[in-house]
Amino acid sequence: MKNGIPLFKYGASLLGIVFLSATIYAAEETAPGVKGMSEEEFAPTKEVLAVKYVQADKPYHMDVESLKDRFKDAKGVKVALQKQDKAFPNGGGSVSSAEVKAAHDGTTIYFQISWSDPTKNVRAIAVQEFRDAVALMFPLGAVEITPAEHFSPRMGDREKPVNLWHWKADWEADLVAKGELEDVEAQYPNMHDDFNTNPYSAYYHRDLITSVAVLSGGRAANNLLSQPGRGRTVEDLNAEGFGTLTTQDHQDVNGCSHYEEGTWTVIIYRSLITEDPHDVQFVPGGNSYFNMAVWNGEEKDRNGQKNISTQWHPITLERVAWQ
Amino acid sequence: MTLVHNWHLGRRMEYPYFESRPKRQFAAIFNINRCIACQTCTMACKSAWTYNKGQEHMWWNNVETKPYGGYPQSWDVKTLKLIDNGENTWYTNEKDEKLSPYGVYEGDTIFEAASKKNLNQWAVGYIPEDKEWRSPNFGEDVAKSNKPDEHSELPEHSRWFFYIQRLCNHCTYPGCLAACPRKAIYKRKEDGIVLIDQKRCRGYRKCVEQCPYKKPMFRGLTRVSEKCIACYPRIEGKDPLTKGRPMETRCMTACVGQIRLQGFLDDNPKNPVTWLIRHDKLALPLYPQFGTEPNIYYIPPRWAPRAYLRQMFGPGVDEAIEKFMVPSRERLAVMSLFRMAQAIIFEYKIEEGPKVFETVIHGKKFEMFNDTVIGYGEDGQEILRTTVEEPIHIRDPKYLNSI
Repeated sequence: MKNGIPLFKYGASLLGIVFLSATIYAAEETAPGVKGMSEEEFAPTKEVLAVKYVQADKPYHMDVESLKDRFKDAKGVKVALQKQDKAFPNGGGSVSSAEVKAAHDGTTIYFQISWSDPTKNVRAIAVQEFRDAVALMFPLGAVEITPAEHFSPRMGDREKPVNLWHWKADWEADLVAKGELEDVEAQYPNMHDDFNTNPYSAYYHRDLITSVAVLSGGRAANNLLSQPGRGRTVEDLNAEGFGTLTTQDHQDVNGCSHYEEGTWTVIIYRSLITEDPHDVQFVPGGNSYFNMAVWNGEEKDRNGQKNISTQWHPITLERVAWQ
Repeated sequence: MTLVHNWHLGRRMEYPYFESRPKRQFAAIFNINRCIACQTCTMACKSAWTYNKGQEHMWWNNVETKPYGGYPQSWDVKTLKLIDNGENTWYTNEKDEKLSPYGVYEGDTIFEAASKKNLNQWAVGYIPEDKEWRSPNFGEDVAKSNKPDEHSELPEHSRWFFYIQRLCNHCTYPGCLAACPRKAIYKRKEDGIVLIDQKRCRGYRKCVEQCPYKKPMFRGLTRVSEKCIACYPRIEGKDPLTKGRPMETRCMTACVGQIRLQGFLDDNPKNPVTWLIRHDKLALPLYPQFGTEPNIYYIPPRWAPRAYLRQMFGPGVDEAIEKFMVPSRERLAVMSLFRMAQAIIFEYKIEEGPKVFETVIHGKKFEMFNDTVIGYGEDGQEILRTTVEEPIHIRDPKYLNSI
């Protein structure tokens, strides 16, 4: 026993060293250009986003005005945002917070995100211009996020995939443009154009027109960003850590937005359940987590240059009334 | 950051990825002295790859006038300022033929400048705005002169300009590849060609920002970036003309002034490209101080002020110009290979011929021999045979006015 006490003391300090070194390790670079996360970031926030059940039919037009009633009684969660400072390139920091409300009607889940942005950037055709955007992120599968779990709130991790819903202001503009993609003329109205598609014109060149698809880079490679006629404003993606963001083959998410007096209000919606195994699934009465990021186009935010929340936020879905 | 060896700088430098050299590296040599800026290369590229919608501002190959021209405008001056390279800091007292043939660069590369300035990104850079891409021949043929009616005389003209032919350098340590947060840019192991995956690219424009040569370009129509693809179908021998042999790119083969020779940098000392770059050191990299180890090499213009050229091509300039002005027997023979074939030459052989000319250039004896140079393809088969003295064909008077 006499010997036991110092051993215990020694053991405790050893344990302390182990924990300390783990913390130090986490703060250091874990991969080139990537700093480790602090322990606090692995713990979800205390505040829970309650997804209220609202009995309502789908409006004819899915716009912010028609969907307003769904969030009437929803209690919002204020999400603090900060600069992305872990993975190269770092950036963001111009948007400090956003408010998130959520509701579901038994078939579809709606998230309303609003944040203040004095500049509206809805086009990214000129090389120096970037769009406003917002994204929600959910852990894939049924997971319980605890500090011990180390489920990264920043783009997920290897073996810990996430599902992301990325709303883009320019996709909204594309939706209403001719051919469902804003053409370069939208940015440069009086530009010269060799592509006369009128076959009766003296300038019509058949070989040129038919080769367009082949030489359209991203479009020929089926990059969703390059495709006309996407029919949606939200991209459905997956990630397993920094730099792994990948567009899903099956797109299920959509959204709408409204910009007024320096505030963006964006509603992102999807059916509670989908058939895609890469999608997060929502069950009324169940729970999940979300995290989010906001991009300010005026500040040239894109990719990792964004305003992020550094913790997961729990979500609980209210049961459907008849359940 | 890892440490990689950059032989242009003669030292190790910081780079986000490990050193991984391709089996052979796509490379080319441009003889600036012979370029007339006819832009045939530019149009050959344009009509092959960038005639499409949204590519109006794109010139993967361009020829600009120095010192005032630049596409995008002032790209080099702006990047030089970012690495604080007002003066060239090279240590040239000790050189190693393999590791530091030009000496040792003591300044910062684009990667080191970014980490010194704590930018939290891989390299320094800037995004040229659309208006900067708009006038590719801005400043064309504008000479630099200190006073009007200035008299100029070799070896250095005080009133001067020269043309610089530019395309993607398919760098060994590409700034664009380092910058891409998505790893959508890759360097091919088989030939060192650097490509942007059009499916993975998300149009973040980090490559546009961090390529010091400003060769990745954003395409507004497809919302993603594109760049020179080194005509890779030709390099792979897919063009029927060369019957499966690797073929030089569009911009190279179209060269009217015969200033271009493209091939691969490899370990074969009898490869004309390798010989001129690594052994003869006649051709020099463009802005080696950026630290990307670019693979387009230039024979510097002999009339331009040396200080300007040293900033542009590094400390090897004086030696290269000296060699160009009084070419050795082998150099003259190898330079006869420029634009003699469309298939890529992998090896050359010289068959000695008679002496045809002798003179003194700048106090140095110069002898010219009419040697025969033979170029061999990848398969070891003879591609071409030419002589130092250009063969002359006198047309029959009967056909004088016909084609």
